[in-house]
Amino acid sequence: MSNRRTFVKMAALAAAGWSLSRPLAAQMARPRVVVVGGGFGGATVAKYLKLWGGNVDVTLVDRASSHYACILSNLVITGALPISRIQLGYQSLKTNRGVEVLQGEALTVDPVARELTVQVGSGRQTLPYDRLVLSPGVEFTPPVGRYDPVLTPHAWKAGPQTLLLRDRLRAMTANQTFILTIPKSPYRCPPGPYERACAVADYLKRRKRGARVLVLDANAGIQAEPRNFGNAFAGIYKDVLTYVPDSTILSVDSDTGVLVTTQGSFTGDVVNIIPEHRAGQLVIDTGLANDPTGRWAVVDPLTYASVAEPDIHVLGDSQGTGQPKSGHMANSQAKVCADAIIRAFNGETPDPAPVTSSACFSPITSSTASWLTASFQYDPATRTMKRVDASFAEASRPTSDGMQQMFQWADNIFADSFA
Amino acid sequence: MPTDRRSQGRGLRPCLPLVALLAALAGSPASAQSTPPSGRLLAAQCAQCHGTNGRAVGGFESIAGMKANDLYKSLLEMSRRRPENIMDLQARAYTPAQLRLIAEYLATLPRARD
Repeated sequence: MSNRRTFVKMAALAAAGWSLSRPLAAQMARPRVVVVGGGFGGATVAKYLKLWGGNVDVTLVDRASSHYACILSNLVITGALPISRIQLGYQSLKTNRGVEVLQGEALTVDPVARELTVQVGSGRQTLPYDRLVLSPGVEFTPPVGRYDPVLTPHAWKAGPQTLLLRDRLRAMTANQTFILTIPKSPYRCPPGPYERACAVADYLKRRKRGARVLVLDANAGIQAEPRNFGNAFAGIYKDVLTYVPDSTILSVDSDTGVLVTTQGSFTGDVVNIIPEHRAGQLVIDTGLANDPTGRWAVVDPLTYASVAEPDIHVLGDSQGTGQPKSGHMANSQAKVCADAIIRAFNGETPDPAPVTSSACFSPITSSTASWLTASFQYDPATRTMKRVDASFAEASRPTSDGMQQMFQWADNIFADSFA
Repeated sequence: MPTDRRSQGRGLRPCLPLVALLAALAGSPASAQSTPPSGRLLAAQCAQCHGTNGRAVGGFESIAGMKANDLYKSLLEMSRRRPENIMDLQARAYTPAQLRLIAEYLATLPRARD
C-alpha cells in the first residue's frame, strides 16, 4: 500500500476522532525525498538533506553501486593514477548520514501521483515522493555515421570508458595520432577537454616518440583558461599537438577512425570522440528539458525546482541556468536545493540570495596544474544566477603548488559530497 | 498515466489541513527544524575545499570554530587585495555582509581537532 493511500486512511481515522499511536503518526509526517543520480549533485543533495533536514527520509537511486569521478580521471587515462583513486562508494552516505541507497535504473516519473518507478534487478519498485531531485548528469547525442563508443571512446563519463581510453592510449606506437574532439558548448567541465589534450600530449611526448595529438574543437576557440591552455598548446606541446578550432564533426566512422569535419577529413589511430551533450534521459522523458534548445531543464535557481513540475528539482549537468556544468558546481547547487527543500517542508520561502561557485584544478604537465574559478550571485531582477565577474579568473600560470592543491581539492570535494 | 490516478492525485491536495492535524496528534512539527541559521548555506560553499562543516579532510585549512572577527577580516582583505590565489577570487564572490554571515556561522561550529 502506498504511503499516500495509507495517509488517506489515517487522515480519515483522524478526522473521525480515532486516536493514533504516536510512532505511526510521527512516521506519517516524515517528508520523503527521492534523488536520482549518485554523482556529485545527487550525493551532495542526499547528504545535506540529512545533515540539515533531520527528520527527512532520503532515498538515493543510481544504476551503479559506486560513482567514478570525472575529477582526476584524465590522470587515470595516462596511467598516473589507478581507477580506484576516483571510485566513490555510497557506504558513508548510508551508515554515517542515514541515506537509503537503492541500486537500480530509474525508469519513469509520474509527477501527478508523485511516484518514481525503478527497475531493481528483474523487478520493479515504485517510490513515492514529496520531492524528487533529478541529478542524472548528461546524455550524449551520437554523431552521424558509423559511431561506436567502444571503438572510439568518449571517457566523458568516468568508469569503464576511462579504462578503455587508457588502454588505447597505452597501446599506441611511435608516430601514431590521437584525435580528441570537443563538442559545442555547453558541455560538462569547460576546461576538461583542454586538460585532457595536455595530459595526453605530455604522455605521448614522454612515452611515444613521434606520436601526436590532434584537437578538433567544434567551438571557435578554447572555452576555458585560454591563457594557460593556449600557452601550453603553443609552447611546451607545439611539437606534438595541433589545435583546430571551428571543426564540427559531420560524420564518423569508428571502424576506420576517419572523421569528416567542417575543416576537412582526419584519420586517427586512437579517436576520442566527446559527443554533443543534453540533459539526462529521465529529465527529457519527464518533459522537463524545456529550454529553447530542448536540451536542458529550466529551473528556478533559488530552489532548482523545474518550472514545469514544481515538486521535481533538476540540478547539476542537466539544468539550464547557464552556470557551468561541473562536479563542483553540482555540489554547490545541491546545497541550495537541499536548503530550499527543507525550508519548503517547514512552510518557508527559499533563501533569496544564494551564491554558487565552481573551482577546478587542471594538470598542464605531469608536475604542474592551473586553476579556474567562477562564482554566481542570484539576480532578483532577472531571476537568474549572474556570474560575479570579479570572482572569475584562471591561474596566472601552472605551478607545482597548483598540482598539490588539485589533490587536496579532490580529497575535500570527494568527502564533502560522498562521506 | 491513467486518468483515474491523475484525479486521485489532484483530489488529495485539498486534504492538506489534515497533515497539520496528524502532525499535531504526533506531537511534533511536520519536519524537524525551523528556519536555518543564517550564513549556513553561504558557508557550505566553502566546504568543497575546507570540508563539511568547515573541517577539511586534509591539505586545506579547517575553518570551523575560528573567531568570527578574525575570519571576517581575512576574507575582506582577500576580497580587496590584488588577486593572486584562488581564495582571493572566491572571496570576491560575496558582499561584505555575506562574508560576515559566513564568518559568524563558521565561528559557531566546533573547532576541528588537529
